[in-house]
Amino acid sequence: MMHELPVSAYTSQEWFDLEQKHIFSKTWQFAGLVEDVANPGDYVSVQAGLNNIFIVKGRDHRLRAFHNMCRHRGTQLLRAVGKAQKAITCPYHDWTYNLEGKLVSIPKKEEEFPDLCDKELHDCGLNLHEASVDIFKGMLFVHPEKNAPNIMEFFGEVAPYLGPHIPEELIEYKEKKQAPFYTKEINANWKIIVENYIDQYHLAHLHEGTLNMYDHAKAEFGWAGSHYHFYEPLVPAYLADIKNASPYPLMDKMPDDKMGAYVPWLFPNIGITESESAWNTFHAIPLAPDRTLVVIRSKTMNVSEWEYTKQYTKSMASSVWKTMGNKGKYEGEASDPMASGDFMLEDVYACEQQQKSLSSPLFSVGAQAKKGEFAVSKFQSVVKEWIENHQD
Amino acid sequence: MSEFHQLKVLEVIKETEDSTSISFKVPQELYETFNYKPGQYLTLRFTINTEDVRRSYSLCSSPVIGEPLCIGVKRVKDGLVSNHINNNIKVGDLVEVMKPDGRFFADVKKENYKTYYLFSAGSGITPILSILKTVLFTEEHSYVHMIYGNRSEDSIMFKNTLDKLQENYKERFILEYTLSRPKSSWSDLWKTSKEQTYRKGRVDTAAINWFLEEYPPYAQNAEYYICGPGTMIENTTKALKSIDVPDERIFIESFGGSNLKDTTEAFENAQLIAKLDGETINTIIPKGKTVLRTLIDAGKEPPYSCEAGVCSTCRCKIKSGKVHMKINLALTDQEVEQGYILSCQSIPLSNQVEVVYT
Repeated sequence: MMHELPVSAYTSQEWFDLEQKHIFSKTWQFAGLVEDVANPGDYVSVQAGLNNIFIVKGRDHRLRAFHNMCRHRGTQLLRAVGKAQKAITCPYHDWTYNLEGKLVSIPKKEEEFPDLCDKELHDCGLNLHEASVDIFKGMLFVHPEKNAPNIMEFFGEVAPYLGPHIPEELIEYKEKKQAPFYTKEINANWKIIVENYIDQYHLAHLHEGTLNMYDHAKAEFGWAGSHYHFYEPLVPAYLADIKNASPYPLMDKMPDDKMGAYVPWLFPNIGITESESAWNTFHAIPLAPDRTLVVIRSKTMNVSEWEYTKQYTKSMASSVWKTMGNKGKYEGEASDPMASGDFMLEDVYACEQQQKSLSSPLFSVGAQAKKGEFAVSKFQSVVKEWIENHQD
Repeated sequence: MSEFHQLKVLEVIKETEDSTSISFKVPQELYETFNYKPGQYLTLRFTINTEDVRRSYSLCSSPVIGEPLCIGVKRVKDGLVSNHINNNIKVGDLVEVMKPDGRFFADVKKENYKTYYLFSAGSGITPILSILKTVLFTEEHSYVHMIYGNRSEDSIMFKNTLDKLQENYKERFILEYTLSRPKSSWSDLWKTSKEQTYRKGRVDTAAINWFLEEYPPYAQNAEYYICGPGTMIENTTKALKSIDVPDERIFIESFGGSNLKDTTEAFENAQLIAKLDGETINTIIPKGKTVLRTLIDAGKEPPYSCEAGVCSTCRCKIKSGKVHMKINLALTDQEVEQGYILSCQSIPLSNQVEVVYT
């Protein structure tokens, strides 16, 4: 056993399929950031568990979501992102729907489908299947049901524990155009990655030289609804020089007395890292029992390039970074994740090393840190609940 | 159904030059009866110059914050009742009031997460104000985006209340005033930018397109509530529909005032067969009378309140024959298709009309 779940939950195709069906196809799923569908006609499509769902913005500036599937033969209608004018046409036989999902045209209807339906096309029961879409904290979420439970019932309890950041006011930081800040396929089950994210106990150890600008001893964390919340302040030395040392311009919404990092995990698979100078989404997408794609999108203050340059220069000169934030746990080549001085590489390494052991006949979890790892078993029990409650 | 209760006037406040708000005291034994949903109205009955007259006024109070029932009444030019109320009603008066009714209301629930678009003009603010207060107070996650049209700054009803709500609920409540004839004066030249600014124009297509683009919904379950004079309702509805706002998300309360001339001729002296309270009434509809008036004149008691095609209290179902509704601001297309009519607006088009009140 891991804690609440059997080891097979982390290794078997059977469990992977159960989760796809009962968790990822029945919960609000992260679908991007609000600005991804900024203007009427803009759309994005996302895989949410077993469903492919697209979101389109109507001319009334309200979002609609539909299952991305032609009602004729099931062909996927839209590709990843784009702009639809007034209608959505299936590439296969040109069946066409309006932006309300209503069927408006079938080529050669009279000759080919004389018996289909004698009513107007949109009353023929062949409109696109509706799904739900909503916004939470500047993020888009989709739900495969038309009458989904409202998103605040799902996230409402954790909302008061999130950071003061207003993501809509920030701008996305990208190294390359059209690419998120960070993507990485990790050789570990998605739950291993979540458990690493919500494990406070490891911060002072795995990341002793990389996240030591945060005061782990003062971390405040807990569980709200189905979600994990976490906050920790900066260490005094970093706080004292924060105006210079911060790598990017400081978040204007961050109060001086609560300067730190908010790092919640929203069930099932989206984390947010809300720090003094950046706001990131951390999306863990299960690909296989032992493979997970992590996509991080990063937003920072909406200020001029010049402000960034000034801040960078000041940060480089700050003595804070001589002792904090970039020293690997071990000495060695920079290619060794444990010597890299990069906390992401350290986490990936730890997750993959744990996954490797899961197939050992001797594997077991020996003990659980009462406080620092409480969230790990809590998370597992929520996973278990979803699977058990939904199984027929 | 059409039972009146005597309520005592608790407070009379002059809201603007030509409008007044009246609060009523509801005795404890009538609490249940006078329970209401935000958006509903009261029907008042007066005897003015020996004539028995009824008018419906939307409640502007909220049922959830422990305030007395309150209506707002704006003078209508040559209006019999609105001027009577504005001129004569004083604290302590007894007024005959029917229990709250109306199908224009918001189904407010604590757990809702919605964006409410509220469009109002003139005294159309009354039911909108009730919805506004109730939503802000009850639904802690929901947003309200409101545009309120008036002739000039002086004619804005409940401005203090609105401004206070905006101050208290800054994060969830957007309020824009738009004025069709703003008063300008020399002193404008010395205005500081800090002073309140108003959009210029009516609540029309341009205003609505601007408003929705400027303030897109955050919670995506958006609903659109409209209340004002007929043309404002027509314009707003048309504007919303033209940008694909679905019908089922639009809610309308009309305060009459449609300018369209209706010249449909009635079938003279048609026979009326009406089933009402278990009785079958057989009579003739005199020229110029509606189905409802014919029944009232015959000494019967059909349900009704506004007599303006707005409230649907007088709704009945047509079994045979044909009628024409002069105004229908209450029934949906679907209801009309199912044979429902507003008896207060129906004149016969066939020699015989058979209706059933249920």
